[in-house]
Amino acid sequence: MENNEEILLRVEHLCQYFKMGAGRELKAVDDVSFNIKKGEVFGLVGESGCGKTTTGRSIIKLYDITSGSVYFKDQRICAGARSYKIAIKEAQKAYRAELGELKKQCAEELKSAGDREGTLEKYRKLREDAAARCGKIVAENRKQKAAAIHDQKYCDRDHAQRVVAALKQEREEALAACKSEEERKACAKEYKTKLHIASRERIVNRIQMIFQDPIASLNPRMTVRDIIAEGLIIHGIKDKDYIDQKVYNILEKVGLVREHAGRYPHEFSGGQRQRIGIARAVIMEPDLIIADEPVSALDVSIQAQVINLLNDLRAELGITVLFIAHDLSVIKYFSDRIGVMYFGKMVELAPADELFDHPLHPYTKSLLSAIPLPDPMYEKQRKRIVYNPLAEHDYSVDQPSMREIVPGHFIYCNDAEFAKYKAELGAE
Amino acid sequence: MAKEVNTNKEVKLEVNNLQISFRTANGKVQAVRDISFKLYKGETLAIVGESGSGKSVTTRAMLGILAGNAIKEGGEIIYDGQDLMKISEEDFHRIRGDKIAMIFQDPLSSLNPIMRVGNQMTEAMLIKGKLSQKEARRDFNDALKRLNECMNAAGGNEKENTEKCEAFNKFEVCHLKLENEYNRAHEAASDALKGIEDLLFEIEKHAATKLVPDLRSICKLSAASVERYVVFGRAQELKGHISALRRLAHVPAHYKAKRFALSLLQKQAKPWQFDEAAICEHLNAVRAILTEAVAFEKPNFFAMGYYLTFGEKTLPDMSVAELNVYLRKYLDEKFMLDFIGRAKEGLRYSHEVSTAKKKEALETFERLKPVFMKETLDKKEVFAAAKELVEAVEAGIDRLEIIKDNSAYTFGSSLRSAVNQYFDGIVRNKKEEVRYAKQMAIYERKSKNGRDPDYKVAEKKLVNLREAAEDIVAVITRVAEDFRRRIKASDSVDMDRRTVDMIDWLKQKASDVAYKVTRSMAKTRALKLLKEVGIPEPRKRYRQYPFEFSGGMRQRIVIAIALSANPDILICDEPTTALDVTIQSQILELINRVNQERQLSVIFITHDLGVVANMADRVAVMYAGKIVEIGTANDVFYSPAHPYTWALLSSMPDLDTKEKLEAIPGTPPNMIYPPKGDAFAERNKYAMRIDFEEQPPMFKISDTHYAATWLLHPNAPKVDPPKSVTDRIERMKSRLAKQTQGAAEPAGSKQ
Repeated sequence: MENNEEILLRVEHLCQYFKMGAGRELKAVDDVSFNIKKGEVFGLVGESGCGKTTTGRSIIKLYDITSGSVYFKDQRICAGARSYKIAIKEAQKAYRAELGELKKQCAEELKSAGDREGTLEKYRKLREDAAARCGKIVAENRKQKAAAIHDQKYCDRDHAQRVVAALKQEREEALAACKSEEERKACAKEYKTKLHIASRERIVNRIQMIFQDPIASLNPRMTVRDIIAEGLIIHGIKDKDYIDQKVYNILEKVGLVREHAGRYPHEFSGGQRQRIGIARAVIMEPDLIIADEPVSALDVSIQAQVINLLNDLRAELGITVLFIAHDLSVIKYFSDRIGVMYFGKMVELAPADELFDHPLHPYTKSLLSAIPLPDPMYEKQRKRIVYNPLAEHDYSVDQPSMREIVPGHFIYCNDAEFAKYKAELGAE
Repeated sequence: MAKEVNTNKEVKLEVNNLQISFRTANGKVQAVRDISFKLYKGETLAIVGESGSGKSVTTRAMLGILAGNAIKEGGEIIYDGQDLMKISEEDFHRIRGDKIAMIFQDPLSSLNPIMRVGNQMTEAMLIKGKLSQKEARRDFNDALKRLNECMNAAGGNEKENTEKCEAFNKFEVCHLKLENEYNRAHEAASDALKGIEDLLFEIEKHAATKLVPDLRSICKLSAASVERYVVFGRAQELKGHISALRRLAHVPAHYKAKRFALSLLQKQAKPWQFDEAAICEHLNAVRAILTEAVAFEKPNFFAMGYYLTFGEKTLPDMSVAELNVYLRKYLDEKFMLDFIGRAKEGLRYSHEVSTAKKKEALETFERLKPVFMKETLDKKEVFAAAKELVEAVEAGIDRLEIIKDNSAYTFGSSLRSAVNQYFDGIVRNKKEEVRYAKQMAIYERKSKNGRDPDYKVAEKKLVNLREAAEDIVAVITRVAEDFRRRIKASDSVDMDRRTVDMIDWLKQKASDVAYKVTRSMAKTRALKLLKEVGIPEPRKRYRQYPFEFSGGMRQRIVIAIALSANPDILICDEPTTALDVTIQSQILELINRVNQERQLSVIFITHDLGVVANMADRVAVMYAGKIVEIGTANDVFYSPAHPYTWALLSSMPDLDTKEKLEAIPGTPPNMIYPPKGDAFAERNKYAMRIDFEEQPPMFKISDTHYAATWLLHPNAPKVDPPKSVTDRIERMKSRLAKQTQGAAEPAGSKQ
């Protein structure tokens, strides 16, 4: 994806496995890669259980990912060590196999050849070579693994340290610029609170989440003010007036009024509750919002209100959104680019219009054929395309991978299918 | 294809002026305010509206599962000659689930958490199976007895008549046993066939890992089809193949050991290799035989039953087609023509008598009407008159009619409740007056003494006696009009048609009697249903608990349970709202298919207009407890008339929407204080002054299309729907044109 636009989030080979007992694993997300550019809305669709929510949750570090990495603003926030571990094991295994092979060869050669010393010397050298090769791979992977574990654990601390260092430098400069003693004092005080906040800064805070169920995701014992302000308080802000002011501003921004701040969630309708959820996410001034099916639990007329609200916020604050949904009409309306997931794999990724105009992967086709439209004559003639992966693909010889078929349009396929899709696209 | 909506169709359910409120701490919430509609047989009626518009309450009233604080203010829901608003809980047991089934929005609330899914499915089948057998026997015997009586009364040999009826009963049962056997075998054969095809496909595609359980079930099914096939000559051959398959499917005991499974998992051992070529060969042979068997013409069991009961003991040696002709002829000559003739006479007699009684009842109406028209009604006189009227009407019912004459059947209960309302009103009004006077006196005394009271005396809640009396007359006039219409149409009744219907009905009832649900049958049926609703590995899932299923899967289980009782009316309360598109579309297809196969009527509640377009024959749009627009799906989607429908249509994005969505401003009104005029006026940008003052009546747009908005009044200014709606309709039309064009070309239709 060579593009001038700044990439905000980069997901590379994300894998999230869950243990199922007896040594089995559920591959909820398996080798998914995508980028989200700054300011765009990236939609993730798929049927329930295909891993789209897990992807969202892994990005925000609600789970420890198994392998792969997630870069947010060019800093790695999630990293899994599984792939490195496997690489080390494989290298060691290959090394052992090679040793055995060498031993056999050596014995044979010793039987036939007369120069015993020379042969032994030759094979010792070969053995050493193999050991060095293996050691190099192992060392490289160990390093990577250590880095991954470190990033997974300490990315927030590193980020905070960096911010604090920058801030400290700024303070020095500001203090140097101050003239009188009082000014210095005021300046120092100001920077003290700033530093306090900065030391608690976590990079994941720049990503916020909106949940599906507005009832379950709001604590019934907290007032709306407490719910919205909770993030700020955890963040280390102690100025009550400042918090109140901010809460009121946000409430107005999401279409509620000041008076609502003192109420409890049960006093609101579904749409208003979802607005509270949105306010809670937006108040942290995030760069990325992960919206996990924010409208699917809402009533018709309210869905439109919430979609409009999200659209307005996006235009106003320039927030990037990862929009997870199963309603394809909504996702088409709202997203710039769409990724289609099927059983933990990303099968197709394309700009919204491109995806709906030229769906290539059979699963995408089947998904699009299932959208109900408010048009009775059309609906009654609509034929759903059934997707049967066993019948569609033959991956026994040729392994599939993600390929770019036209700029911006990626598809999960093998060589034969790639040619087929290309022909299909050309014919249209 | 759009299903034809025929207004002459049989009415399954009728809702008249339904009003339901809920008592709450803040006051009375009027959830449903005076709605009426009819549900025809085999149609799907979609009810659309926001939450709180009363759509769920309406359907819950049909099942008698309203919350405890509900007040049934009035109206009636007529189903099968009963008013569902008035019948007892005991009677509801017979209707709920069996006749009217419901799929709820939240699947967890309708599943028992501590029972395995399989048991929950079969439990209902077994209980309902017994009950329906009993009921069918009662219905069958009653109807046959009455038919016999009428035949006798119409003239003709009494002894012969009785003999004929008894004979009918006898060979009917024989025929059903045969047919049941055949059906079971046929079902087993087609199931086995499908299993074989799946298995062959899997073997072909890649080594079948789950070969053993599948093979076993196929062997079982094929064996069942062999044992039960009555008219089938290749049983020996099939049996040979099946035993060979059984042998091939046998896995040595060593390979089944637990230790082996573990080493298999660790990839240290190889699994047992089947002889796939041999298995495929046998499977193909079985497939060929079963295909032939499934494609067999169905024998005429009805005639065969008669032949075997009263004719020879063995069937003549013929092909099925010839046999059918022969048996049919035999039956017609010996029995059927005669029986039909007699039954026709009986039906005609019954019809004539009831018409005469209807005329009498009409006279009684005329005679007794003044009693109810008086300024103040006399209790004794009214009760006597009511009793006489009810008797007259009940005499006027033709008991041999299959389609129950709804308003006459419920006349008794509706009249009684209307009369009671009036006289209870008198008593209550008096009490209310006394209370008001007393409290007012205290209030005035207090204020006179200078103690300013800080409360207000509650207003008088009086029953409007004038209206109550009018209600009584309305109940009578409705039945009278119905009778008049029927008397007028009585000459043109097609007696032949009715006779055939009657005999078909008797056959149906007899088949219900003979249809005994056993435990294994229920299990097979449950497994089949599970598979039908798209649950993979039904055998494993059958033994799981509800918590082991995901949301979509749970919903499918609930649908399977609702379908298992073979209901007459299926109410779906937002069944697919929580599901994703692919599963939603599968489930909609499932409901549609069942609807067509079993001719059941569906009430579909949803707020997804796309789903409505897919499912509905007719659409009712509800807002604030009232139906604001009702019409066929094409009416409502292509020429919507009510501003609320416009708003709904424009608030949802479809695939071509680019512009900003037009959300409906505000929220629905508080139904404790329902607005005086049109409830939607507050949020309606087309509202006129009259909308705030008076409720609009239902305006007729076409025979099938009605809407309640003042915009349709002849004096109203002409208003066009908003641009987004007209645009969308344009787009639909162009897409339709394109599609029909595409369908014309064979290549295009495949895409």
